[in-house]
Amino acid sequence: MLDYLVQLSSFAAITALMALGLDLMWGLGGMANLGLAGSAAVGAYTAALLGVKLGVAWPLAWVAAGLVAAGSGAVLAGVTARLRGDYLAIVTLGFAEVVQLVASNEIWLTGGTGGIPGVPAPWRGSLRGIAFDAAFAALAWALVLAAALLLARLGASPFGRVLRAIREDETVAAVAGKRVLGFKVRAFAAGSALVGLAGALGAALEGFVSPDNFAVLLTLTVVLALSAGGPGGTWGALLGAVLVTALTEGTRFVADALPALSAVQAAALRQGMIALALILILHLRPAGIVPERPRAIPKEAR
Amino acid sequence: MKHGLTRRAALLGGLALPAVAPSLARAAEPIPIGTLLPLTGAGGAYGPSMAKVAKAVTDEINAGGGVLGRPLGLFTEDDETNPDSGVKAAHKLIDINHVVAICGTWASAVTTAVAPVCWQSKTMLFTVSGADSITKLPHHGYIIRTQPNSHLQALRVADFIAARGAKSFFSLSAQTPFAHDVYTQMTAEFAKKGGKALGDIIYDASKTSFRTEVEKAVAAKPDLIFLNAYAPDLGILLRNIYQAGFSGPRFTPGYAATPKVIASLPKPVTDGLLSYAPSPDPGSPGYKRVKEILGVEPDPYSCQVYDHVSLAALAMAQGKAATSQAIHDNVRAVGDEKGVPVTDAVAGLKAIAAGHAINYSGASGPCKFDAIGDILGCKFRFDLVKNGKSTLLSIS
Amino acid sequence: MIALAQAIVNGLLAGATLAVPAIAFTTIFAVLRFANFAVAGFATLGAYGGWVENTALGVPAVPALAGACLAGGVAAVAVDDAALRGLRRRLRPGEAALAPAIASVAATLLLENVARFLFGNDPRGYNLPVYRDWHLGALAVGPQQLADAAIALVAMAALFLFLGFTRAGRTMRAVADNPGLAALKGIDAVRVGRIATFAAGALAGLGGMLIGFDTSLDPLLGFRVMLSVFAAAVVGGLGSIPGAVAGAFIVGVGEEMATLVVDPAYRTAVGFAAILVVLSLRPAGLFGVRGT
Repeated sequence: MLDYLVQLSSFAAITALMALGLDLMWGLGGMANLGLAGSAAVGAYTAALLGVKLGVAWPLAWVAAGLVAAGSGAVLAGVTARLRGDYLAIVTLGFAEVVQLVASNEIWLTGGTGGIPGVPAPWRGSLRGIAFDAAFAALAWALVLAAALLLARLGASPFGRVLRAIREDETVAAVAGKRVLGFKVRAFAAGSALVGLAGALGAALEGFVSPDNFAVLLTLTVVLALSAGGPGGTWGALLGAVLVTALTEGTRFVADALPALSAVQAAALRQGMIALALILILHLRPAGIVPERPRAIPKEAR
Repeated sequence: MKHGLTRRAALLGGLALPAVAPSLARAAEPIPIGTLLPLTGAGGAYGPSMAKVAKAVTDEINAGGGVLGRPLGLFTEDDETNPDSGVKAAHKLIDINHVVAICGTWASAVTTAVAPVCWQSKTMLFTVSGADSITKLPHHGYIIRTQPNSHLQALRVADFIAARGAKSFFSLSAQTPFAHDVYTQMTAEFAKKGGKALGDIIYDASKTSFRTEVEKAVAAKPDLIFLNAYAPDLGILLRNIYQAGFSGPRFTPGYAATPKVIASLPKPVTDGLLSYAPSPDPGSPGYKRVKEILGVEPDPYSCQVYDHVSLAALAMAQGKAATSQAIHDNVRAVGDEKGVPVTDAVAGLKAIAAGHAINYSGASGPCKFDAIGDILGCKFRFDLVKNGKSTLLSIS
Repeated sequence: MIALAQAIVNGLLAGATLAVPAIAFTTIFAVLRFANFAVAGFATLGAYGGWVENTALGVPAVPALAGACLAGGVAAVAVDDAALRGLRRRLRPGEAALAPAIASVAATLLLENVARFLFGNDPRGYNLPVYRDWHLGALAVGPQQLADAAIALVAMAALFLFLGFTRAGRTMRAVADNPGLAALKGIDAVRVGRIATFAAGALAGLGGMLIGFDTSLDPLLGFRVMLSVFAAAVVGGLGSIPGAVAGAFIVGVGEEMATLVVDPAYRTAVGFAAILVVLSLRPAGLFGVRGT
């Protein structure tokens, strides 16, 4: 039981890290990036290739994963800078699709749909069983907390205030003399870095990457986690990630309790329950469980 | 006072129970066994029948008296055809349900992701995934694969095509871990028989039309088109091939040409479709049994999951312990050449209880495995669709 | 050269079918100002509605399209009434409609699983004969694809007539053009929203069934075409019906032509590259208005 919860908490931490990345782009900057699965894949494959093919140690591989994901995020932001709202959402969705196609088809590099097994993780050789799982979960949550603190400070900094201004009205922000493109690109790069790092963590936790890990469903999970938790408020992302993990895995036990249904009906019911619960949360807590606090207007913005 | 008494009685009873009737107490406790199946997502066409068969074979074993005096308790989880979900579900099966084995993993990516979870917790993993790399993982004997690896398939498929008199073929493949290997191995084997491979197009299986891909294949004027597809995309390919005016033979894995796919298509589209699948001997009782359970000609994966559960039960009985270790140590012993031939788990369990060595041959064929867990030299059945119905051509 | 012409023909026919759900998506956006991703789910349920009428009730496939429209329309109104309208009402004026869009994604997952619960994952087919392609010179054209395209064009024409010549249609356009003014004039926005949602759901259902004609039917039908549908609507400009039609043709032809130059496995990638090119020239799509 304990082992199971520890394992799930590692997965929740990975979702939380992605939700934090999205919070920076979407919650603060108002840019609906639905290409998260793509950034996660870029990070995961970077770490996996460095670790497996070149024997790079995990801390370095993870940093590289964040950097490469940040780079791809910056390019994506540059290309899509003029797009807003729904347009941006769909183009970034396309980015994730393209990354998945490359991962599936460039077999020489990525191993294709068979993926890359044997991705190294911290302490995998030295710790066993629950000790390894607990150490990994602790490391993952430590990274989440560090990222959350950083993000909370960023949100209160001038950079965060400009981002929020861009979110509220891009034209006004531009008129106020802010270089909108530069801010957008930096926010996108930083957010993508977190998502890419999360991808690297996922690859290490499973010891495996494959294109199937980065389906659209991954992006939806993170989006739903952040919306349920509360975008723009940093801590909502963490709570939302825990909630979504509890919801997707907890429903398995409900399905176990319904032996009268066929297996496929139980599976359909389970996914239906997850969808319904998320719709309910959006209705009951429209601003998320931890809503963004309205901030006092700072002096320099007046 | 009364309260205290009952509590004391309960306490006493609780203490006494293990001492008085240990066998009785354990007799009621089922042996947990898990299936991890694609019930949703891209593999959704396969999971539901596999779940049905696993449930039926578990019920049969339990009706026959269970394993070592205990019934099997089946836990079915959905892997959503996604490695992340598969890993989480595998943790639930292992850490919460304490299953002795996980049966039926389908997608190669799911199996590869779940495999370390299994071997680290010393839980047996029975899979139907086709990627050659799976059994090459450092799994310490905790993986058993009933699906013949792609090399074996490619050789038999190429021989069959040559024997049908085709001098050339064109291949259309979904992007799978074995698509490329199968094509190159087929090409080499086919060349030995004097035939020529005209090309291979890897398509994106999530599309809803393959007209352009099919037109390219037909334009190469092959004697036969090989469709390395799955159920959802096969239907579209066959329609497009018919529309393009190709009337030659089309050849596909049995797991793509399921009876339900064939039933969902107009008869002219499927007429003359050839398929292959690993197979037991003609008239195998195990195969017939799976056919009864499903009510249609079974797909290869359903046959294999029938054998997964049966093998796990038999190996535990053989090892006289309801543990994963017993399955690990005895899964090869229940396919003893010198043993009594049995074709279902209930008969096998009886024979083992009577002290006989057994030779299990199930719904998917004889279940003998090499050192890394790959199935050994199994037979293949070849089917031809005529008038919307699949008919057996040959087993070899 | 022939290959190029053939790819264009294939792309145009595929685009005509794609246009129907793309119009559905863009219509909801025009009237209700949010991206209703559940269009994918309406398409799936519509396809099953038509399938029930076709196989269980024995209605021929083309008349059974009415069942697809009904199932798609009813599903759309039910989802909107139960899950989406309440979220829209809470939006502040000018606020981006993210909450209803996200809820609609969850609704897609819900509808997919309603279909799965009722019908299972097994592929289903319509009772519909299949024909060999006609050869017009060097070009091959599928009679069914032509028929699908014709049905799609009829549906589009019907929508144009509805919007242009009926009271309800004109009201819908008034709301789409200026919701504030429409409200001042005393137009019942909820009712107009319902009519628009039903019409869009019906179109999505019809589109789902047309896609099912050429493929087979399973709970993921809508999900598979979702990306191409949204892409088509975005290229054309969200909220513009002619735009959605143009976008569908661009995406359809783009993906087919892509197979001539790159590995067919990358079809989708080239489709997206085309979108990026269009949007970098016109950030609000071909027919879109800047700022929406």
